[in-house]
Amino acid sequence: MAPPAETLTSRPGMAVAAASSASKVLCIGLLLALAAGFPLLHLYQGGLNYWLHMLLFAYMNIAVASSWNIIGGYAGYISLGHNVFLAVGGYFSGILFAYYGISPFITTPFAGLAAMAVGFVVGMITLRTRGPTFIISTIALVLVTKIALDNWDYIGGANGMSLPLVPLPVDVVKLPFYYGMLLIAIGAVYVSFRIRRSKFGLGLRAISQDEIRAEVAGVPTGLYKILAFAVSGLFVGMAGALWGYYLTFLRPTIFLSILIGAKIVLMTILGGRGTVAGPVVGAALFIGANEFFVSQFGASELNIAATGALLILALLFFPDGIVGTLKHKGRLPKALDWD
Amino acid sequence: MTQLIQILLLGLALGGVYALMASGLTLIFGVMGIVNLAHAAFMTLAAYLALLAFMRYALDPILSIVIVMPAMFVLGLLVYELLFARLFSDARARGMTVLLTFALALVVEGVLGYFFTNIYRSTTPDYTASALLFGPYYLPEGQAYATALSMGILGLLWAFLQYTRTGYAIRATMQNRTAAEVVGVNVGRISMLVFGIGMALAGASGSMMSFLFPFYPGKHWEWVAILLSLVVLGGMGSLLGALIGALVLSVVAAYVSSFYGPTWSPVTFYLALFLILLIRPQGLFGKRPEI
Repeated sequence: MAPPAETLTSRPGMAVAAASSASKVLCIGLLLALAAGFPLLHLYQGGLNYWLHMLLFAYMNIAVASSWNIIGGYAGYISLGHNVFLAVGGYFSGILFAYYGISPFITTPFAGLAAMAVGFVVGMITLRTRGPTFIISTIALVLVTKIALDNWDYIGGANGMSLPLVPLPVDVVKLPFYYGMLLIAIGAVYVSFRIRRSKFGLGLRAISQDEIRAEVAGVPTGLYKILAFAVSGLFVGMAGALWGYYLTFLRPTIFLSILIGAKIVLMTILGGRGTVAGPVVGAALFIGANEFFVSQFGASELNIAATGALLILALLFFPDGIVGTLKHKGRLPKALDWD
Repeated sequence: MTQLIQILLLGLALGGVYALMASGLTLIFGVMGIVNLAHAAFMTLAAYLALLAFMRYALDPILSIVIVMPAMFVLGLLVYELLFARLFSDARARGMTVLLTFALALVVEGVLGYFFTNIYRSTTPDYTASALLFGPYYLPEGQAYATALSMGILGLLWAFLQYTRTGYAIRATMQNRTAAEVVGVNVGRISMLVFGIGMALAGASGSMMSFLFPFYPGKHWEWVAILLSLVVLGGMGSLLGALIGALVLSVVAAYVSSFYGPTWSPVTFYLALFLILLIRPQGLFGKRPEI
């Protein structure tokens, strides 16, 4: 019988943590209230569609980065192929919508489950390897999936498939997507938080420290890794399903470029790998900065080079990310310490 | 039957070039434990250098190897000194080096894309348009030269590793880094040298790629996955393994390509990669993972 999760995380600092939880609750509550209330401003004064778009894109990336963090941060297995889950989710709901008329608003949770199932099967193969070899296998996964989708005529191959438009007036058409992505992001962060506090999460962190010792200490490393990989696909698949419907057009290149997988890793590392708040901070800042640079310099090849250069700088000089570095120095505002 | 042998011939010829492409990758892994995901990106960079030399000065891409190889060697020393030297001393950072090479590949891809745009290019010396005939069989002339040259360079590399003092030190470092250091090998300098050699090999294969396979900046991801599958099949860090892996997989891919269409040729490599990881992760000649 497993001991309750609380005893595993109780540390001498717990009392302090409890005292600080008020500011944390306040901070998170305020963020959520702002996020939930923002569309009201749009409905009241109008013309904020661009901001709705940016915010829902940020929520999607928060969900994806937080999910990636479960396998890449907690367990230390760097996956460069998490965008495959986006594609699985997008095409799962897209096919059901285009051929069977079932709205993605209904099928999104199932798209998440489908991505999770794919993650389980793929994880059983690729997680037999460690370190560099695992990273390679995730890149190969992206390439294989892309070729398979490019040549699958049923879904239009490389030309893609169009989905029926959303039957809503233009003023409110973004709102269901906005709230949907917000829910997915909240779900992803919450699951990431619960996993970090659980025995499962403790096992994953032990794996990232020293896998062999973790195994000797009784952590079922094989099962944990596969489960972590599968769970990290859940919300990514859901985000992909909703994103595909939002774009009303599915093409393999939308999801399956190496750059997308790289950006997922970059934003999580910038924010702080292995922390709960890190991916949220990283994704929000990265999406903002990326949008700024794209609007200034255009979405050119320089964007690829800059992504790479930023990743190099982060790895060499800032490997713990914003939240991680502040935490090590004891300077992290309590409101941001969500671990 | 003639057709089957013809395909085998083409596959083997291609395999020879693949082996040269993969040699730098496996050498760097063998000595440093770094999977250099930027290897194919640097190969593409070398291909663009050859293209520049070909377009500006009408320099034959095979001849331009004489310039491209040393240039890439020096670039390799610089990259190693700037990026890998200090990461390497930190064991925890070792896991991050793959990401570092990944990021490096993105930088190279982006810069190349900025200067050369994303269209397919290739050099077109005269021999790309003709073929050599051997009885009922043929081999494209450029392919024949590239294969012969690749085998020549690999032979030189082998002789260097086998018969020189530095080569001896490199092999010692590959076998056991700590022990090599104990007996007086300067593993830091050896690592730097090997990184340079690996890049020079990428340079040579990039020059040949410029007339064998059309390329564009983003193409290198497909290449690096192909090269990794060869190296993983042969066993990471084994030169002989890379050669055998290259020959085996390129022949298989040649048959797949002729029976099912060229689209599925790269899939052969990716699926092989998954299968090898599933069945025998250390490959044919690889060391078992150390515990």
